Amino acid sequence: MKTIDIKHLDDLALGSVFLATGGGGDPHVPKLIAHEAIKQYGPVSLTKPEDVPDDAFIGTIGSVGAPTVSLELLPSLDDAANTLDAFEKYVGRKIDAVASFEIGGGNSLIPIVAAAGKGIPVIDGDGMGRALPEAQMMSYAIAGVKPTPAIACDYAGNSAAFDVSTTEIYERHIRSYSMAAGGMITAAEHPMTGIELKQSIIPGTLSFSVKLGQILRKNRGQADTLLKPLQQAFSSSIYGECRLVYTGKVVDKATQIVGGYDIGEATIEAFDGSGGKLVISIKNEYLLAKCDDRLVASVPDLITIVDYETGTPINAERLRYGQRVSVFATGCPDFYRSDAALKVVAPRCFGFDIDYVPIEDL
Amino acid sequence: MAQPENTDDMRIGIDVGGTHTDAVILDGDRVVAATKSLTSADVVSGITSALDTVLEDGAVSQKQINTVMVGTTQFTNAIVQRKQLSPVAAIRIALPSGKGMPPMVDWPSDIKDAMGDHVYELHGGYLYDGFPVADIRDAEVDHLIHDLIAKGLKNIAIASAFAPMNAEPEIRVSQKIKAAIPDARITLSHNFGRLGLMERENAAIMNTSLLPFAEQVIGSFLDALKQRGLECPAYVSQNDGTLMNADFVRAYPALTFASGPTNSLRGACKLTGLQDAVVVDIGGTTSDVGVLQGGFPRESNTVIEVGGVRTNFRMPDIIAIGLGGGSLVKDNGKQVGPQSVGHKLVSEGIVFGGETLTATDILVASGHADIGDSTKVSSISESTIKTATRTMHAMLDQAIEMMKPGGKDIPVVLVGGGAVLVTQGLNAASQIHRPTNAGVANAIGAAIAQIGGEAERMVSYRQVPREDAIKRVTNDARAKATAAGADPATLKAVDIEETAIPYMDEGATRLRVKVIGELSTAGKS
Repeated sequence: MKTIDIKHLDDLALGSVFLATGGGGDPHVPKLIAHEAIKQYGPVSLTKPEDVPDDAFIGTIGSVGAPTVSLELLPSLDDAANTLDAFEKYVGRKIDAVASFEIGGGNSLIPIVAAAGKGIPVIDGDGMGRALPEAQMMSYAIAGVKPTPAIACDYAGNSAAFDVSTTEIYERHIRSYSMAAGGMITAAEHPMTGIELKQSIIPGTLSFSVKLGQILRKNRGQADTLLKPLQQAFSSSIYGECRLVYTGKVVDKATQIVGGYDIGEATIEAFDGSGGKLVISIKNEYLLAKCDDRLVASVPDLITIVDYETGTPINAERLRYGQRVSVFATGCPDFYRSDAALKVVAPRCFGFDIDYVPIEDL
Repeated sequence: MAQPENTDDMRIGIDVGGTHTDAVILDGDRVVAATKSLTSADVVSGITSALDTVLEDGAVSQKQINTVMVGTTQFTNAIVQRKQLSPVAAIRIALPSGKGMPPMVDWPSDIKDAMGDHVYELHGGYLYDGFPVADIRDAEVDHLIHDLIAKGLKNIAIASAFAPMNAEPEIRVSQKIKAAIPDARITLSHNFGRLGLMERENAAIMNTSLLPFAEQVIGSFLDALKQRGLECPAYVSQNDGTLMNADFVRAYPALTFASGPTNSLRGACKLTGLQDAVVVDIGGTTSDVGVLQGGFPRESNTVIEVGGVRTNFRMPDIIAIGLGGGSLVKDNGKQVGPQSVGHKLVSEGIVFGGETLTATDILVASGHADIGDSTKVSSISESTIKTATRTMHAMLDQAIEMMKPGGKDIPVVLVGGGAVLVTQGLNAASQIHRPTNAGVANAIGAAIAQIGGEAERMVSYRQVPREDAIKRVTNDARAKATAAGADPATLKAVDIEETAIPYMDEGATRLRVKVIGELSTAGKS
């Protein structure tokens, strides 16, 4: 893939929800905005990380805030490009290409909107390979790239600049600004050189998300028939293993807000009631899957819940009692299995008292 | 035999479908008379003839009828077929947010064209915390009104950001338009509840485009009743199984979308007295499987598309499987459906002299029904009959397993013309119910509908204690139900939904309350 055009957007959005593991928000509105941006400014060229010159200047961009708010506070066509303009003005340097900080959900599309508006390429890759709730969990941060200088803009073009000492502090400040600015902002952050990008990005996830979306669309139907094509795609990707771990009905789902996160559990029971129930632990994303206290999959590996009849991925916000679903577990990119990454994304970092075991070993 | 004494609660339910117009007279819980007739091209004559039949069959005089309830698919069909739609001015008040993403941006072009694609964006609206997105600009509103007048646009939909929490921008712009264009028909999005600006706006736009047609349809309903001497109040059923009075449906015709399946489920509830059950409506081509919870349909939570447009309407959670009386039987009975001869069953089915092996032929061959000419199916092998019968029951079993709440077996209610296909037990069913009059379950569902109201707000439990917040939203819902014709004394909350909002301050919650009560006219004459 060399360009992202209008025809890729549906598949990209669909694939991004699979990779979002329950989080990331509904990509419908970001997809519409990307559609309008490409219609107006033309297709966006897609650059592989390895083709980026070492001395290039790269910025990352995405939305920060509450998915529920974005149901009402719609983005504007030029929000993303305007944020990059403000960022360039602030740092005094032009950006050569833009990258995503999160492939899971709506933030897979925002860099495309920005790139279209600015007439610059978008990098094929992201900073998570999935969706994760906090900035310090990004591969950029784990690899030592500083989040600031950063600029965030609200719906009216008001902006705030950030210069902070740690990613944790950046996370706190940007969240507070988001809440003060209507609950949803666009942030340009993690400026880096080409060489830093190559060391820190999860590569190929944008084009892979398009491919994943194609598979989900072409094989639309009962989830068991999806497994084979999914396994074929994942086994030749940075993700590797893909398993269908459970099929059944959601018999319970309860979440509540704790510390700004939607935390809780969903319980799934086989259609005929036989065997153990599958319990999914949720903290914005699906983080842990256990069957009769036996661990089936855990973060940073991917847990995805799809509608049983269509294979359409369901995010945690829309998961509810009575839905008929299948659960897939997929390995995470090797980057996230390193000691440095597991220090910030292992189950214990989300408050679960277990060690991470790769799904291949479960 | 002495007739049971009539109570004061005689009502007529009418279901106007694409093919059939059904009517029933209910006296309390008792079905006095029921009829099924074909829907006429003008709709009205079909209704009047159905009314004549039930009144005559039931030996009931018009004066004994307290209320008439009508369920209709006409408005859904108008949207789906892009017919009877009027031009609409779609006005969104949310700038500077959403610039470059105008109303109807993601609509199929044929329906957008049918409504004229007149879109306007104004500054205004609110944020989640009550802070304004922008102030309304008088010059923009004046310019808008000028343009509406120049283009002669009178059907108007208005949506503003976070209108379910603060509808003031919608109301203010609407009042200004009304002052300048007194005969404007205006739909405000906050009357369609739920958060989701684009989906709510879409609902308002579709509703507005149906307003002139609604005027005509409701006018002809009322004419038909008047012609038959029925001067009692008339109501139309909406998608959540509750009723709207004539004035309300004139203003909110879009709320009738998907009322058909809802009425079918509610009718099954009435016919069996079951509050919790799986209801299987077996037709000619498909079986629709839905769930009754506490006497009402379980609602679907996914985004619902109507005519290719995303909306936030409340719809029952239904799965349709390809099994009906006309389903094709193949592979010695190992495969039944999803292809069907549909309404051509009466010419193409083998028992009717045709050449296509259908589910109905298997049924007749198995000796469980006497339909058509049974000698024509005597050559079907015993093993094909057995296998096909097993396949059909397995298909239903699987669908019921998927739909039933929890792992326990649950009563199953069979309705629809194809219900005869079930000749054996169903694994997932604790009991199987085949109510008499199941063929007119929709009309019965319409006849027993209640009045409801729903309200939603984003609240912060930090600022407002939870109990107070629930009380406030419940009061909003009660006011809506009362305005729609409910007796306030009978209203009770049937659903309180709290959705915590991720990434926001602790206690930020989307709170939705639904109340339901009896018609304020019921039982009075």
